[in-house]
Amino acid sequence: MELELGLALPGSDRTPELGVHGEKRASLCRKRGVDEMLAKATLPLFIQKDNDEDGDDDSRQSKHLQELNFSGSRVLVGWPPVKMWRRKSDDCGRRRANCVKVNMEGVAIGRKVDLCLHDSYQALFLTLGQMFPKKQHDGEESDAAYYKVTYEDEDGDWMLVGDVPWELSVLKHQHKKAK
Amino acid sequence: MVGGFRWAAMFPDEVWEHVFSFLPADADRNAAALVCRAWYRIERRSRWRVFVGNCYAVEPAAAVRRFPEVRAAAIKGKPHFADFNLVPSDWGGGAEAWVEAMAEGWPHLEELRLKRMVVSDDCLELIARCFKNFKVLSLVSCEGFSTAGLAAIAANCRNLRELDLHENEVEDNCLHWMSHFPESFASLVTLNIACLEGEVNVSVLERLIGRCPNLKTLRLNHSVPLERLVGLLHRVPQLVDLGTGKFAAQHHPELFSKLESAIAGCKNLKSLSGFWEAGPTYLPAIYSVCEGLTSLNLSYATLQGPELIKLISRCKNLQRLWVMDLIEDDGLIAVAASCKLLQELRVFPSDPYGAAQPISLTEHGLVAISAGCPMLHSVLYFCRQMTNAALLTVAKNCPNFTCFRLCIMEPHTPDYITRQPLDAGFSAIVESCKHLRRLSLSGLLTDLVFKSIGASANCLEMLSVAFAGDGDAGLHYILSGCKNLRKLEIRDCPFGDKPLLDNAAKLETMRSLWMSSCSVTLGACRQLARKMPLLNVEVINERKRGLPLELQPDNCPVEKLYIYRTVAGPRSDTPSCVWILR
Repeated sequence: MELELGLALPGSDRTPELGVHGEKRASLCRKRGVDEMLAKATLPLFIQKDNDEDGDDDSRQSKHLQELNFSGSRVLVGWPPVKMWRRKSDDCGRRRANCVKVNMEGVAIGRKVDLCLHDSYQALFLTLGQMFPKKQHDGEESDAAYYKVTYEDEDGDWMLVGDVPWELSVLKHQHKKAK
Repeated sequence: MVGGFRWAAMFPDEVWEHVFSFLPADADRNAAALVCRAWYRIERRSRWRVFVGNCYAVEPAAAVRRFPEVRAAAIKGKPHFADFNLVPSDWGGGAEAWVEAMAEGWPHLEELRLKRMVVSDDCLELIARCFKNFKVLSLVSCEGFSTAGLAAIAANCRNLRELDLHENEVEDNCLHWMSHFPESFASLVTLNIACLEGEVNVSVLERLIGRCPNLKTLRLNHSVPLERLVGLLHRVPQLVDLGTGKFAAQHHPELFSKLESAIAGCKNLKSLSGFWEAGPTYLPAIYSVCEGLTSLNLSYATLQGPELIKLISRCKNLQRLWVMDLIEDDGLIAVAASCKLLQELRVFPSDPYGAAQPISLTEHGLVAISAGCPMLHSVLYFCRQMTNAALLTVAKNCPNFTCFRLCIMEPHTPDYITRQPLDAGFSAIVESCKHLRRLSLSGLLTDLVFKSIGASANCLEMLSVAFAGDGDAGLHYILSGCKNLRKLEIRDCPFGDKPLLDNAAKLETMRSLWMSSCSVTLGACRQLARKMPLLNVEVINERKRGLPLELQPDNCPVEKLYIYRTVAGPRSDTPSCVWILR
């Protein structure tokens, strides 16, 4: 590893680059710098000093440091320039899947069901009926009603699905079993 | 004016009015109005469409008085950077003053389009009551109103043709606002409610659109489930522009085939948008209409590259594509191969604040599009890396750009191969694209790029600059060049007082200048305000520490500065964080 010495503001990139006109330009290294900067007591002095100087580079850097210092976080206001409305929509547009694992007795490979895409137990049972093979019983296919769907609750007990109103049960992100 | 001879009297006024009706642009009508008093008089009486780019540039009453026959008005309020939270929420842009003046002087108003303004429910009620033949309401990026205000519009505007709500903040306090459209109401052509956050009564909506035979545009909001889309589409097979609601449901083959046939039944579909929560399951339901699409907005869908490619390669006639960066370079290469008629591309960041998983969307995608799409003229591109070489190639491939907005998400990012600033690349863009009207810069940039822009960008009307430049010279190059510059917005650049004061006169030729987190002092702003009475110099200082602004010394730094030309003088609705210097 090469040892390099350089003059730069604390928290800035250790290898200052030369700007077009040959002046020192230290680029901000966000990922590493913040913790160091916030810990250093000398930082405010550097900012005061830079405001008195005419150096353009320094004032630009000190503004960034100010942003980081005053806000306490490394996110710049309004950057990148993505509309507020779009950001909000992204948050609710992203699928927040509420998937549960479903295993059927006698079937080695389980399935996953996204509870968010269902609005009732009927819808869920319909989907489960499509996901798992129908059991042959005396040569005839039996219906989905033959199956019991159970889930494991927080106490570790196996409970029948369907007793609790749908909205409440969706909150429980549990492992279901179809017998 | 030729001495004594009133040549305008050669023809009756009606003939001149008819001649003026052929002047398409407001600028042309403005020029005609300056020729002589007769033309001024005739032109003002016959102008029926007015555009006010800055709501504070003129007193509403004055505008209404000058043009008494206006039927269509468009007004813009807050500065563009308000979209990114840089403008205080109480800054201004209220619509009341305008709506009251218009209600008074333009009772025959038919169209009102407002952008970035604060519109209250009272305003909406006033509109609903006062304009008897109101036909078009378009609100873009506005706030301050609720669905109760929309109910008033629905109940009273008997001839409403367009209700276009685009990206507004709307409070949801009246669930049944749509039920306020009377049963006899059947005139809708455009209904865009995509920005509403609340539940929509789909049955009421079905009945409403079912009785509007001229409905061409329907953009639903996120709450409309996919199952109900089928029923809605059956009622409006003549639709040209569809914005879906939520585009996800658990896979049911029956729903899929119903959806597929409902969409296929809309034989005139040219534009699709919405696609909230879209996944690969239901996307193929739209394949049948892809060939006819000219506009596709997938920017709210977190679809992955392969799904996007499968869809977009079918859209051979696409002219406009808005998509997430999840499309990646490979996807853009496929777009370049399939969409030869593409004119406008916007690529939005799926994860602007983290670098969660590196997405392979780089300069290669942009280059591929520039090479494959000869009609491309408008680009918005968010990415994380760029090279001068790529920009030079893009500039060579696309000399017809009118709008080029590149956002490299990390500030000060240099050419990642040469580590040089991106001056050469952006200079190539402005030198090659002689018709460039709008430009947004990003990446590591020195004053050199501004020298090129000032010298070459003769058609440039709007320039957005962030984290760029070395010093005053950069701003000076822009203000002393760019002869058609109308809007300049700058943030986090080391530009100070000198270029502003040296180019004060330029500011009167522009609509507005925004500067935030730069190196401007209060003293310069005071000087500028004294020197230029036709400018409003607004200093915005949100951090209220120390003395009030009047008592601060000249060397006090200015956080945010908004300067705009106006014939209305200082506005009277400034909040406490805004000072207008005189």
